[in-house]
Amino acid sequence: MSSVIWYLYEFARKSWAENFAAAKSDKEIMDAPDRFRNFPEVHKEYCIACGACTAACPAPMAIKLVRDEDNAHEDGFTYPVINNRGCIRCGFCAEVCPTDPKTLTCGENHLIREDFTILPVDKKFVIDDYLCIRCKKCMKTCKVGDAIVEEDNKIVIDQSKCISCGECLKTCPVKGAIKGIHISNVEEQKEIINLVVNSLEAKIEAEQDKIKDIVGSDVYSFDISAVELIEDAKKILDDDELIDDIIENITDRLKLRVITWDKDKCTNCRLCVKECPSGAIKYTSEEGVVRNPDKCLRCSICYQTCPFGAIGYYISRFLYKRDEAEKIIHVTVKTSDLPVRS
Amino acid sequence: MILPIGPVHPGLKEPLRLKLKTRGEKVLSAEIDYGYIHRGIERIMQGKTWQKGIFLSERVCGICSYIHTQTFAETFERIAGEYAPLRAQYLRVLTNELDRIQSHLLANSTYFKAMEHETLFMYMLALREPVMDAIELLTGNRVNMGWNVVGGVKMDIKQTHMDQIMQIMNKLESEYGRYVEIYEDGPLVGGLRSKDVGVMTKEEAIMARAVGPIGRASGLEHDVREQHHTYKDNFDWNVVWRKEGDNFARTMNRFDEVWESISLIKQVINNIPEGDVRKKIDIPAGVAEWRNEAPRGEVTYSIETNGNLIKNISIRTPSIMNIDACAKYMLNDVATVADAVATYATSDPCIACAERVTILDESGRVRDFHGVHNINSKLKG
Amino acid sequence: MLDGLKDIIRKSSIHVCLVNTGGCNGCDIEVVALLSPRYDLEQYGIYVHNNPREADVLLITGAMAEQWKDKLQKIYAKTPEPKVVVAIGNCPLTGDVFNQEGSSVHAPVSDWIPVDAEVSGCPPRPSEILAAILAVGPDAIAARGRQKL
Repeated sequence: MSSVIWYLYEFARKSWAENFAAAKSDKEIMDAPDRFRNFPEVHKEYCIACGACTAACPAPMAIKLVRDEDNAHEDGFTYPVINNRGCIRCGFCAEVCPTDPKTLTCGENHLIREDFTILPVDKKFVIDDYLCIRCKKCMKTCKVGDAIVEEDNKIVIDQSKCISCGECLKTCPVKGAIKGIHISNVEEQKEIINLVVNSLEAKIEAEQDKIKDIVGSDVYSFDISAVELIEDAKKILDDDELIDDIIENITDRLKLRVITWDKDKCTNCRLCVKECPSGAIKYTSEEGVVRNPDKCLRCSICYQTCPFGAIGYYISRFLYKRDEAEKIIHVTVKTSDLPVRS
Repeated sequence: MILPIGPVHPGLKEPLRLKLKTRGEKVLSAEIDYGYIHRGIERIMQGKTWQKGIFLSERVCGICSYIHTQTFAETFERIAGEYAPLRAQYLRVLTNELDRIQSHLLANSTYFKAMEHETLFMYMLALREPVMDAIELLTGNRVNMGWNVVGGVKMDIKQTHMDQIMQIMNKLESEYGRYVEIYEDGPLVGGLRSKDVGVMTKEEAIMARAVGPIGRASGLEHDVREQHHTYKDNFDWNVVWRKEGDNFARTMNRFDEVWESISLIKQVINNIPEGDVRKKIDIPAGVAEWRNEAPRGEVTYSIETNGNLIKNISIRTPSIMNIDACAKYMLNDVATVADAVATYATSDPCIACAERVTILDESGRVRDFHGVHNINSKLKG
Repeated sequence: MLDGLKDIIRKSSIHVCLVNTGGCNGCDIEVVALLSPRYDLEQYGIYVHNNPREADVLLITGAMAEQWKDKLQKIYAKTPEPKVVVAIGNCPLTGDVFNQEGSSVHAPVSDWIPVDAEVSGCPPRPSEILAAILAVGPDAIAARGRQKL
């Protein structure tokens, strides 16, 4: 009974009766306040294609840079495109956009100008076709539409569209298949490469005695300290990161072939002298058969020719460990699997 | 008889499985299975900058999303050894309390829904909408606000916003008391199905590590805001707590905390200092831990950074302790199954917060995970 | 005649089941906010019931966590025909921020069950959800019902 009275009291209230009589859906429910962040709007005429928005976006599939087709009069616009199915409406792309006026507007977030900038990268990214396994992971992660394309069954980076964000480098499963190449100081870089290869070769030549003992499928490996090498390279160009990158890039693919020469087994038959394509092997009556390493091509013809096994032919590979306290180059030497011509 | 409820069930909003051991209508004990919405959010955050991590931390939980970003930002500020500008601290208090009001109203409305009192359920949701409007007005989004950054907040508050929020708060204050009265003394609800149901004593609350309103309703007089520098130095407020430890106390505790939040918001708007709302903070490498009072209790972040990227992050949310406390201590000897569901609703479960782990066996099948209390025995077995 | 009658009934009484398959809970509470007197979902004859066995519409909010791979398909099978699946928020569409390296989600949901309509946003506003459901829901259910006959 008490509840009935209570409800009667509730219904008899004036405000309740008024609300009940004038019940209707609020018109304002579709309105949003000024600060409401809807999906960002793109004003493509201001875009400078810097890629700051794609680098800043916390959602993986929300934003991509695309480029229109060029026509006869002008280049096509490059501009970001928002995918509404991925965009989380945080407005961060509008905050980091460096253009003035802003390319992206979102709520009132584009009024914020914070000094968050992505660093301009002095690197160019290329795909090494020799190491690429065509998994296409880089194509999926690329923040720019069509920057990595498949041409003639090869994966290539379109340099006119790449913004050098380096995302592809992180996803690539093969070490060294995607390389960041420094664009500046090309001549100095060549010198450093020559220096590194020559000094590596000299280091391996010094280990000849141990290399000769490798039999069958054995592997001989040793570490070379890279500290001296880096010191020498710094005299050419004083840039730690660049030197590290160069050493890593060349050691990823470098395959040095090593020829060893066993004087005791040589019978001076001079078969190799005739076969050598570069004339690096000479015979003199005083010294017997001698190889000149500077002229030698490491083509292995002498190794395949020699009937007495005086010549050894080995292959060495390298791994640069840059993250350790003392940077080292790890060298692995093994016998080549080439058959010996009989 | 074992009565399974969930993961998709009319009584539950979020996926979770309750296994009630019943005799007749009486519930003897309960067991809880988690792991339905584990996303691996801490692992995703590793190796990201804080600029991206703060948006991820926001999506740990959709109801108390604000406090996660605040704790994340304050942990980084602690690593740098600096505080945000005072005006930004005030604005953080403002948004935090608005978020607390909407969360408490939502929690109570789900409780009323669970005990089939539709009228109060609708009243609570109707009260909550203006608060959501205030949040949207200030931050630009209703749920995931994107409002905090390390070193302050993104945008300044305008005078018009302050007026509108003050108006909303005045309206809320004038109407709110009546609805609380309906629950407290009304003929349908007062004591009828909530007093002496799902009792958890103080000792049990300590054993279950209960936090937040659930712990405070059982007599644990503890609120992390007491230790927070902004609340401690600048505001006048009280910790709300009760002794009974039943459903009624938990619901009333949340109702009373809303009064405190309204008064805090008014203090912010009346006393807000002038100044910047954001300053640039350079973050060194380091480790830090920071805790804050979320609507559901104490949330702890511990972050290790190398100055630029997040190396390691661990988030401890209040829900997991509260849900455990609910399963172990509140759902013992409940008179009816309907009361058990209502008791579960008053523990304010937020499953999205609590999901930290999915246990797979070697063949990749998902194994049951019954909460922190049982994890050791389960892993051995 | 019978078809027309069935159309009217199907359009005017829609039962909705909300399934969170691994999201942040934000979309769920926006759906709850739709029940509030301000938006009043039930005036359009839509009733959020959370019971798949009597649902006409499945609302999916979430990015497919590990456990839901088989369970969602079971729920879909239990829902009676005609049924419509609506994906709410970005999680079921693309996986949102969770679909990154190291996560344990298997987005999108359309890989596992067919999705008829989608509402994007993180989370969408209640008015956006309401507009989308009203635009697609009743007619889609009626049309789906006619197909089966």
